[in-house]
Parts: sequence; C-alpha cells; structure tokens
Amino acid sequence: MSSVSSGMIGRSTGDRIVLALTIGMAIVMMAPIAWVVALSLKDNKELMTDMNSVFHAPYTIQNYINILATSSVFRWILNSVIVSGVLTILTLVLSSLAGYGFARLNFPFRNALFVLVLLGLAVPEQAVLIARHQLFSWLKFHNTYHGLILPGLAAPFGVFLMTQYFRAIPRELDEAALLDNASRFKIFWKVLLPLTLPAQATLGIFTFLSSWNDYFWPLISGTKKEMYTLTIGIASTQTNFAQSEGLGFLMSQAVFAGAPILILYLFFQKYIVTAVSGAAVR
Amino acid sequence: MTAHIEILNVSKRYGALTVLDGLSLSIKANEFMVFLGPSGCGKSTLLRMIAGLESVDEGTISINGQRIDTLPPGKRDIAMVFQSYALYPHMTVADNMAFGLRNINMPADVISARVAEAARMLEITHLLERKPGQLSGGQRQRVAIGRAIVKEPKAFLFDEPLSNLDAALRVRTRVELAQLRNRVRSTMVFVTHDQIEAMTLADRIVVMNNRKIEQIGTPMEIYSQPASRFVATFVGSPTMNFLRVSLSNQNGFARATLPDGTELQTSIPLESIDGSEHSIGIRAEAIKRANGAAATTTGKVDVVERLGDRTLLYTRLREGSIIVAEDIGNSRVAIGDEIALSLDGMRAHLFDSSGRAWHNQEASHG
Amino acid sequence: MAEAAIPGSGSAASASVRQAVPDVNAPIWRNALFVAPYLFFFLTLLVVPLFWGVWLSLHKADAFGIGRFVGLDNYFRLFRDKIFLQVIGNTFYFVLLTVPALAVIGLLLALALNRNARTAAALRAVYFASSVLSVTIVTLIWRTVFIGNFGLLATVYGWFGATAPAFLSDPKLAMIGIAIATVWWCIGLPMMLFLSALQQVPREIYEAASLDNASRWGTLWHITLPSIRRTFVLVIIIEIVLQFQLFGQAWLMTKGGPNNASKPIVLYIYEATFIKWDLGLGAAASEILFILIMIAALAQYFISRRKGEEG
Repeated sequence: MSSVSSGMIGRSTGDRIVLALTIGMAIVMMAPIAWVVALSLKDNKELMTDMNSVFHAPYTIQNYINILATSSVFRWILNSVIVSGVLTILTLVLSSLAGYGFARLNFPFRNALFVLVLLGLAVPEQAVLIARHQLFSWLKFHNTYHGLILPGLAAPFGVFLMTQYFRAIPRELDEAALLDNASRFKIFWKVLLPLTLPAQATLGIFTFLSSWNDYFWPLISGTKKEMYTLTIGIASTQTNFAQSEGLGFLMSQAVFAGAPILILYLFFQKYIVTAVSGAAVR
Repeated sequence: MTAHIEILNVSKRYGALTVLDGLSLSIKANEFMVFLGPSGCGKSTLLRMIAGLESVDEGTISINGQRIDTLPPGKRDIAMVFQSYALYPHMTVADNMAFGLRNINMPADVISARVAEAARMLEITHLLERKPGQLSGGQRQRVAIGRAIVKEPKAFLFDEPLSNLDAALRVRTRVELAQLRNRVRSTMVFVTHDQIEAMTLADRIVVMNNRKIEQIGTPMEIYSQPASRFVATFVGSPTMNFLRVSLSNQNGFARATLPDGTELQTSIPLESIDGSEHSIGIRAEAIKRANGAAATTTGKVDVVERLGDRTLLYTRLREGSIIVAEDIGNSRVAIGDEIALSLDGMRAHLFDSSGRAWHNQEASHG
Repeated sequence: MAEAAIPGSGSAASASVRQAVPDVNAPIWRNALFVAPYLFFFLTLLVVPLFWGVWLSLHKADAFGIGRFVGLDNYFRLFRDKIFLQVIGNTFYFVLLTVPALAVIGLLLALALNRNARTAAALRAVYFASSVLSVTIVTLIWRTVFIGNFGLLATVYGWFGATAPAFLSDPKLAMIGIAIATVWWCIGLPMMLFLSALQQVPREIYEAASLDNASRWGTLWHITLPSIRRTFVLVIIIEIVLQFQLFGQAWLMTKGGPNNASKPIVLYIYEATFIKWDLGLGAAASEILFILIMIAALAQYFISRRKGEEG
C-alpha cells in the first residue's frame, strides 16, 4: 500500500490483489455506461420484448440516424455551445483583467474589494437564485442567451485563480517592462498574459465544463424548448422515459450528449482534473 | 550618453519603518559606482529609487541637473539589469532586447541594427532566436545586459546581477563586465553585498549600513582608511582583528596597550583622538610570524587555514583573545604551536565605542 | 537642508510638486479600471441579489410582485411545515450516506492508484471520468440501471431468479438509490484530492521509514495516513458543502418522492419558488440553506488557514 516505493521493489502479492480489486471495481463502475451504450444500439421494439437481447446481436445505429433526422438535440447542443463558449471567453477576459488588477496594481479600497470577492466564494448559488430570477424577469432576460450567460460572470472563482496566478509571476518582469517604457495595459497584454496560459486553460475548461453541466439556472431561466441547453433538453426527454420514442432512442440521445464531454476529457484529462480539484480546494 | 546623478537628502519609509534616512550622494558622469552593504541596508532600495520603481518620500534625485524622481521609470532614460534577469520568458532573445525600443516607436531598421550590434558585442548572436528558457544562466545574464545596452541609456543600474551565477562563472562575468565598461562609456551603478565584486569593479564604492551611508571612496580608500568600524569589518578578508586597547602618549602619537600587555606604536596624533573604550583594528596582513627581536607578542595556534599563496594562523594570545595572522603559503606551523608574532602598529587603525575611526598618517598619504 | 540646495530646475521643487510624484505603487483610481468590469457583474449579480434575497425572505412575495413586509413570518411558516423539517432531515441523511462513502472510497482508491505505472494512470482516468458528465446524463444512466423490470439491476437479478430492490419507488430505499448514483458520479474529486496530497508527502520520509525497517502496514498507518489527515478533513468539508446542495439527482430520479422521502432542501426551495411561486417562503428556505453551508465553508476556511501556517 505504501505504493510510493513500488518502483524500488518488485510487485508483491498484496499489490496484485489491490490491482485486481481496483480493476474489478472500475469495470463495475463502467458497467452502467456500457449498459446505456448497448441499449442505444438496440432496436426499440426488440428491447420491449426482451431486455436480455441487449447482450447479443443484432445491433443497429438506427437510433443515432433518428437523432440526426428528428431530435432537437442539435438545437440544444448549439445553445449549449453558445452559452458555455461565450461565458468561458468572457470569464477569461474579466478574470484576467481583474486578476492582474488585484495582483499588481494599487487603487483605493483594493484590499477591501478583494476580501469582498473572496467572501463571494462562499456564497452558494441558491442564496442568490431567486433574486436573480426576479431581476431577470423585470429585465425580460429569461429565454435569451444573455439571460443564460450573465449570471456565470459573477462567479468569483476565476478572479481568485487569476489573482493567485499573477501573484506567482515575479514582479521584476513588470519592473523590467516599466523601464522598457511599457504602459500598464501593455505590461498586462504583452508581458504577463502570455505567461498565464496554463491558468487560462485551467479556468477555461473549468468554466466551460460547469456551464455545460449546469442544471439549475437554465432550468428556471431557459424554459422554452428552443432555449433549452443540452443538459436541460436531455432531462426533458426523461419524463417520457421508455415510452413513445423508445428506450434505445432515449439512450442514444444520452450517449450523443455525453460523448463530446468524455472525448474532451480524454484529450484534456490533466487540465480537467487540475481545474476541478483546484476549484474544489480554492 | 552619460549621466551625472545627484541624490540629495533622500529618505524612504514603509509606514513606521525607515529604510533610508536622508542620504546624499553624487555619482559622476561615466563613473562606475558600487553600492556595497549587507542585505537589508537599503542599497537595493536606493537603486530602485533611481530607477523609479520605488517612490522617493523625501529629497530629490536628478540626472544632469534635471530632476527625475518625478518621472515615471520609462522616461528616465536608464536601464536596469535585475538579479533574476527578468527576461520575458515567452519572447525570443531578439524580442527581449527590442521590446523597449519598440515601445518608443523606434524605426525597425534602427532596432535591428542596435540588437545586432549588442549581440555581437556580447557574443550572443547565435542565441537571438532562442527563448530564455533554452539558455544557461550565464547566457541569460548576457541577454539581460544586452537588453540594457540596446537602449543606449544615460545610466546602467545593476541589482546584484552576479549573485545567481555559480562561482567560476561569476568571476568570468566580473572580468567581462569590467571589459564591457571600457567599451560602453556610461554611468554605471552596481549593487552588491560581495566586497570582491565591489573592489574589482568600482571606481568608487558607497558602503551602506543600516539606512545610512558609512563611507564613499575609491576601493583602496575604503580598504586602507575605513571610515568606521563597520566598514573595516565588512571589507577585507579575513575580517580585521579587533582588540581592546588603552592609549598612552608617545611624542604626541598614540601608543596602544593590548590586553596581553603588548605595546604598539602608531603614527596617529593622540590629540586627534577622542571618545572612549578604544579598540585597535589590524588586518591579518599586518600581523606576521616573527622571530627574535621583531616579535611583539606570542600566542598558540588554534586553527591553520591554508589558502595556497598564504596561510592564515588563528592564534590565541596569552590573555585569551584570538587574532588572525598571516604566514607564507608553505608555512610549517601546525595546530598547537607556540609562535611569535609581529604586529605592525603603523598599519593599524583605532576605533572608539561609537565606531569612529582614526588612521595612521602614512596610510592616509598612500 | 535648505530648499535652495536642490539642483537643476530647483525653483518649483517643493511640497506641491511632491504630490505629483508618480509612485509606481501608489493607489490610483485609474488602476481600478482593470477590476471594474468584473466588479460590475459581481455587484449586480451576486452582492445585490444576496441582500435582495434576505429582503425577499422578510416579505410576502409571489409571481406578480412583492407584497407587504411580514417580518420573520416566512421563517415561522417554514418551521411549522412538516415537509420542510422532513427535507432538512432528508438532506442530512443524504450527506451522511454520501460523504463518508466518498471520503473512504476516495482514500482507498488514491492509496491503491498512487503509483507511476501506466495501468494506475488509466484507472485514475476511468474513476474520474464520470465526474465530467452532467447530472442529466448521470441520472439517465442510473434510472436505466434501477428502473422497474427492465433495468440493468433487474436484468442481473433476473439471471439468478431474484427480484431487484426497488431503489426508486421504495420510500426506504429512494435516498439510498440517489446516494449510490451520487457516489458514482462524484468519486473522482476526493480521489484526486487525496492523490495530490499523497504526492506531497516527501519521499525522504518513506526512505527513512524503510531504513527503520517499517512494515508496509506500519508505513501506511504511522506515516501515510497521518500526513494526509488534514486533506481528509478538507475532503469531508468540501463534500458536505457540495452534497448539501443536492438537487438534480433527486429531481430527475424520483421527483423527491415517493411521499417526499427523497426530497432535499434545494428541491423544496425550487418547488416553493418556481412551482408554487411562493417567493418569500423560497427565499427564507434559501437563507436557511445558506447558513448551513456557511458553517461548513467557514470550517473549510479555518482549516486551510491552519494548513498555511504549518506548511
């Protein structure tokens, strides 16, 4: 178990048992996903008569073809891409500017404002949701893209992360640039911002992922079917679970919706893990 | 382009903490001035005030008669080489050097000519397209200097630029800096805590301690006529020996009596000396092994340090105090030996309890 | 020193000029321009709604507008409501079901997978994968596992001629079913937090222990676990804060039923506010939740503070 030393000593029986257990558990963990994928590849009528048919041929991609033909999934994906994409870009811009400001520049009430932002980290979404919803009703922002995007811009995590990151960059770089006649904005833009790319990636992925997976705000703000995000859209199909359109079709939608994120995860695994754990610890 | 820098009554405070207390200092055009002192003495702060990276709370700084402490750093026409080099990590060496020139909208052909010339001078032409991360410490150091040179500033400021290099490279770079200095005629201000760097590079040294200037002078003045006990202690290796003495009059000159009773004649006029609780300061090189009549005192050797060209003998005098004496490189003295020493009173210094110093008259002429 | 001694332009060099000295670190309003855009959204969409929410909770309010001031009446109504007391109990029950499981399983996985082998890296990726899915997909997956007579569970039980427990329709089991899905969904985070803590234990300690002939269990018990004790507490608190906000799983898997048996606080807030449009009551319930979460967040703050002092 003191696995740090595993490089030095050979693999013992204990290690093998642990390995077998973790592999076994991983298979159990993946079983529900495999089940859903298998269902999505079956003909709906066949499933209704015999669930065990999942385990043998024939398999079909008809359900996926049906998605292309009929489903609203594309509209929902488009909505999600717009909402999460714009929110991510704006969050990066606002957080980078504010992070630089808090980390490097002095202005009246700077420390008090930063503490206020830090306190904001502790505020759960539920504590502001109802008032936000009222505000957006009055502004007629519901069922619009900006209505779905704007609340995310208030989240303090990005500012916190970028401030920490800017603080870790040696101040001598700023000073060298000051002596090189660069303005404050130029120092931010040309000297420091390029150095924050890892943090931008972390923050970008975290923001995109949590926005893509957000369930509460889109549920109460984007209530029209054509303004559903993917998360809400897929949820809305669950109400007619295994009925009109069929279990296989429902599952194919779930796979279709979940696959892009899982593929993204495969490529950016390291960043995603860093982003999510970093956000948790703060 | 060169600068005569005039610092007048400058003070710096962080809240209740005073970092610099009313300093005045004049740096001549083309002079290589070194600020020397222990860490925390305020030498870096003073340099950064010249650069404009720290505000001046009181007093003024001017260059060639024009006040600059009211100007932003970029408008002071000075360049700085940082301890950590502060190269822009994502820019190539060429871009690092060109950045400051582009910011003042200099024509591209002038920029590339200047960069090429500086690169040639520093022998870094083959590195121009690399990023700082691909360079060794010594190469980064050169790029940092190159970035300063291309600006053709009125003054160069160096903030402990050699302290991040390993020992061998530091010595080499020191020599190169001295050579560079001859090619680039400009005022240079160099901050260090290393007395060897200060002695070898400086036209003049400013020794600083505890928010104040202790002494300003050429390296040899600092070494042979330290203005205070602090300067005497800080400059020179091994550290000067100090012994409590009582003073008596010998033909108007001070005669010092050491704790073990040894008497040393100096050429310091007794009437010039005041204060109380006097000590004598005497460098190892003025304490030699002696025999016969030349011996002034004796002691027992505690430690033998062989430096190759000479040997240092840490010797315990009869009454218990330890002084360091110098002997030839292949000295036969071993630990525990009783040896006779000759202390040269004419090369000694006297200090009072406040640290004030008096020097032999010969030395003041030399 | 006399003013006259100042060289150069001299004449104007006095206290009035001193005011204009550009200290590069002086507080200047213009610098605030960098933080202003974010602060605008922070203030309008977080700070103002936070206080607005408190204000709402003290009023009678519905979909048509905010009515009269009713003091703490909404809070009294909450605590007279048996269902609200039940959802608080449900939420604590859910936290109790999930948080210890997440912490213990996460720790075991981290201990097992804290090695450089490629298999371990692949397994870490697998265990974290479910964390990137949205709640909608997670609940869809688990409903097809749990559901009546054609779920995965029913199918597997069917092979042995047994009947699967009705996780989503039995009031005693509903919360457990939701907890299982939640642990499956969330296990990646505690595992990763433990892994990064394990990697920060200095290697020299293990080398010293092996020189001292410590057994593997001894090493685990006396060195590994004590060095990640603070992370363990941190994971517990982070998960308490997260799991207190249970909503999607309950809403999508059971609608809070049967008979409110799996209804958590957030779902109560959602129903009160956006289905019954009793905004005052919903806001009051939100404030209760806020206070509960604040307590946990404060604990997290003080523990990470202490970490900083010791580290």
